[in-house]
Amino acid sequence: MNGECHISSLVVHSRPDQVQSILEGIRSVQGAEVHGGADTGKLIVTLETDTESQVVERINAIQLLDGVLAATLVFHHFEPAQERE
Amino acid sequence: MDVTRRTILKTQAAAAAATAAGISIPAEAQNIPTGEDIQLQWSKAPCRFCGTGCGVMVGVKDGRVVATHGDMQAEVNRGLNCVKGYFLSKIMYGADRLTQPLMRMKNGQYAKDGEFQPVSWDRAFDEMAAQWKRVLKEKGPESVGMFGSGQWTMWEGYAASKLMRAGFRSNNLDPNARHCMASAAVTFIRTFGMDEPMGCYDDFEHADAFVLWGSNMAEMHPILWTRVTDRRLSHPHVKIATLSTYEHRTTDLSDMSLIFKPNSDLAILNYIANYIIQNGAVNREFVEKHCNFRLANTDIGYGLRPDNVLEQRAQHANDAQVSHPASFEDYAKLMSQYTVEKASEISGVPKERLEALARIYADPQTKVMSLWTMGFNQHVRGVWANHMVYNLHLLTGKISEPGNSPFSLTGQPSACGTAREVGTFAHRLPADMQVANPEHRKHAEEIWKLPHGLLPGKVGYHAVQQDRMLKDGKLNAYWIMVNNNLQTAPNTNNETYPGYRNPANFVVVSDAYPTVTAMAADLILPAAMWVEKEGAYGNAERRTHFWHQLVNAPGEARSDLWQLMEFSKRFSTDEVWTKEILDAHPEYRGKSLFDVLFRNGNVDKFPLSEMDPTYENRESKEFGFYVQKGLFEEFAQFGAGHGHDYAPFDTYHQVRGMRWPVVNGQETRWRYREGYDPYVEKGSGVQFYGNPDKKANLIGAPYEPPAESPDAEYDMWLVTGRVLEHWHSGSMTLRVPELYKAFSGAVVFMHPDDAAKRGLRRGQEVKVVSRRGEIRSRIETRGRNRVPPGLIFVPFFDASQLINKVTLDATDPISKQTDFKKCAVKVVAVASADAGGQQ
Repeated sequence: MNGECHISSLVVHSRPDQVQSILEGIRSVQGAEVHGGADTGKLIVTLETDTESQVVERINAIQLLDGVLAATLVFHHFEPAQERE
Repeated sequence: MDVTRRTILKTQAAAAAATAAGISIPAEAQNIPTGEDIQLQWSKAPCRFCGTGCGVMVGVKDGRVVATHGDMQAEVNRGLNCVKGYFLSKIMYGADRLTQPLMRMKNGQYAKDGEFQPVSWDRAFDEMAAQWKRVLKEKGPESVGMFGSGQWTMWEGYAASKLMRAGFRSNNLDPNARHCMASAAVTFIRTFGMDEPMGCYDDFEHADAFVLWGSNMAEMHPILWTRVTDRRLSHPHVKIATLSTYEHRTTDLSDMSLIFKPNSDLAILNYIANYIIQNGAVNREFVEKHCNFRLANTDIGYGLRPDNVLEQRAQHANDAQVSHPASFEDYAKLMSQYTVEKASEISGVPKERLEALARIYADPQTKVMSLWTMGFNQHVRGVWANHMVYNLHLLTGKISEPGNSPFSLTGQPSACGTAREVGTFAHRLPADMQVANPEHRKHAEEIWKLPHGLLPGKVGYHAVQQDRMLKDGKLNAYWIMVNNNLQTAPNTNNETYPGYRNPANFVVVSDAYPTVTAMAADLILPAAMWVEKEGAYGNAERRTHFWHQLVNAPGEARSDLWQLMEFSKRFSTDEVWTKEILDAHPEYRGKSLFDVLFRNGNVDKFPLSEMDPTYENRESKEFGFYVQKGLFEEFAQFGAGHGHDYAPFDTYHQVRGMRWPVVNGQETRWRYREGYDPYVEKGSGVQFYGNPDKKANLIGAPYEPPAESPDAEYDMWLVTGRVLEHWHSGSMTLRVPELYKAFSGAVVFMHPDDAAKRGLRRGQEVKVVSRRGEIRSRIETRGRNRVPPGLIFVPFFDASQLINKVTLDATDPISKQTDFKKCAVKVVAVASADAGGQQ
């Protein structure tokens, strides 16, 4: 590992009739976790990655899921992974 | 990182996203500084990139921008950020940032054929001033020019306009916004007598239907797109229709997508007008009270060089802008040709879809927001296309009220603020005034405290014309600021590059990075960017947004504002103004341009003590007065009292922008409608008060073909444009490693059948060849853009694949904006081409 931990969050606008398959799709993205929003179609998703590039890659992956209208980054924080290990 | 900390951070991240999404979780969870964040100083600024005008919070530590995030308090984006905006903190720290002036030298002297060597600012300006003076003396004011930008801050554009028009007495000043939204700007004036949209982003929350004409909003304006999708998700009756010449992210996400043949949007628009007329959907009362009908001159050419056969053949190439008064019946007769059959035949769009689209506009119960960008504006009939969409809204009265909104999106952060409001076009002065109008010039001379008769009335060279005149040796001293024209102008190998390297010319480029344009210049001046200076931008919804200087520029890099003002010190009025003017006004004799333009009692009116002591302000400290405030307040005089009012300067440093006109401290969200716009008289309902009769002009025009279409040899359409990760020519975004990695090189998006027909595989190297030039690239048959057979899409951000060597320099003859969306090319495999073309 390169010694960094990146935590970021997104709002994922989803077509209501496809929310279930989108939820599954997001869960298959490494480091992604859904924190609610399924009832409104605006999913709150966090990402945990080792690099900033992976943040961009994962957003693109989520963006391309069927039924996703927009995936937008809101928060990002990173710090050395070792600091607290 | 231990589990507890990870959980805390994730909770915080989720809370921030929930707040941004409008889902109830305490707002204070956002942006709580954790760990070292506590030492950051956070300030507001608008984003540096597109015309959306998102608010960002900028975190500074030890004199360096280390973090940015979406500003929760910004109405535009409410805490959201697109991926480019997210990486804003990195755009200033590319490894190849320019930090000192570089001049082409040989044996210690300037030489056009020399190599770049570092020089001092003094040396740079000495040479530059000597060249300017030589050219002015030999050939006069029409031989100097400047190419600026909708990325200039408002006061930079304003200072440039003063220096060029009043200092050097030349209107050869144009912004790169000419390539971007001149068609929109020109049509606003032609239709409403005033520039910029009547509505605003609040329309997103009121519309029942969104119609996107030539706009890939999901990729190009992603934050506004989230407002569209929010509306769509929370109100199931809402529909999105997207018109494009190929399928992309936005067409995927729309309820209706209409893929049409290049240029045929004109036929579709006229068909919708015809449908409205035939089905009794015209709002008669609105039209009679508020509209004039006119018919445009037709067969107007393509803005090519006058000796081009297409111009020679065109009946109205020289009076393309003229239109004639007409009746509703005349207009209806012209429209009646555009039946659904004809529109379908010209466009290739199935009749049912055209009818479904027409019903959206015709239904009086459906509030429609029409949105457009480059597909409409970069169009040989861009002005007509803009007229045609206004015609639909005017016929139905669906305008100037929440949700009913024809809305031109912009591509640059201050296309509206700097290019349009300040007036950096070759034909414009501040507040929509025109250089050709003697009354307007006189008014400008009065505000600027300059002698009457000083300002030239001849419209200067527009962007494409500047390139042609450089090549022809008629424009000889040329300053380029904040743009990368050698990459973004059309037909660059034949029309742009030769002018830069023409031995008769001295070309100066001010930039933060060594772009291809900078590398083709004779002198490169290192520029400060974004929060390295105090700034103001005006976004697409008339929102004026300020920021403070937050960090210093590296090395000797200085803002364009400093460069313009400092350069003006090197000229005296005796050197650049005529004897007649000085004889008539001897009090101006022997003064420097700096004195008459910037120490005029207006610009130097505010002392340094009025600055916010928290922030650095290099220009003001150097010149000894609050430069930005003086320039802004002088500029604001132009529009005060007639519909272009701004708030006082200091207000803008407090708020997240305000939408003009600002009257009695209140911004205006919808113009021309009583109850929303204080300029509309009581009892009148609607007044398009930009025109003397307070009516809008509904101008009819036909479908006409493009300048160049595919034929047997050049058998494909070429469309150029952007991708999500990169902004325009990539001079900033390519320097962010994460964005570079996400989309590192341009590709040719091609239909799989077209690839198979040519024996090409995905990833194979090819040449894209036109009558003007060629580039090498690689084939992409999958991915985010899916083109129809017969058409390719190539993004223009990649400096190693200059697609503008291939494009055609045809422009809209009225707006002079280039059509980058259609020309004819062929695509051949590199190996077979090199082997003599056998296939």
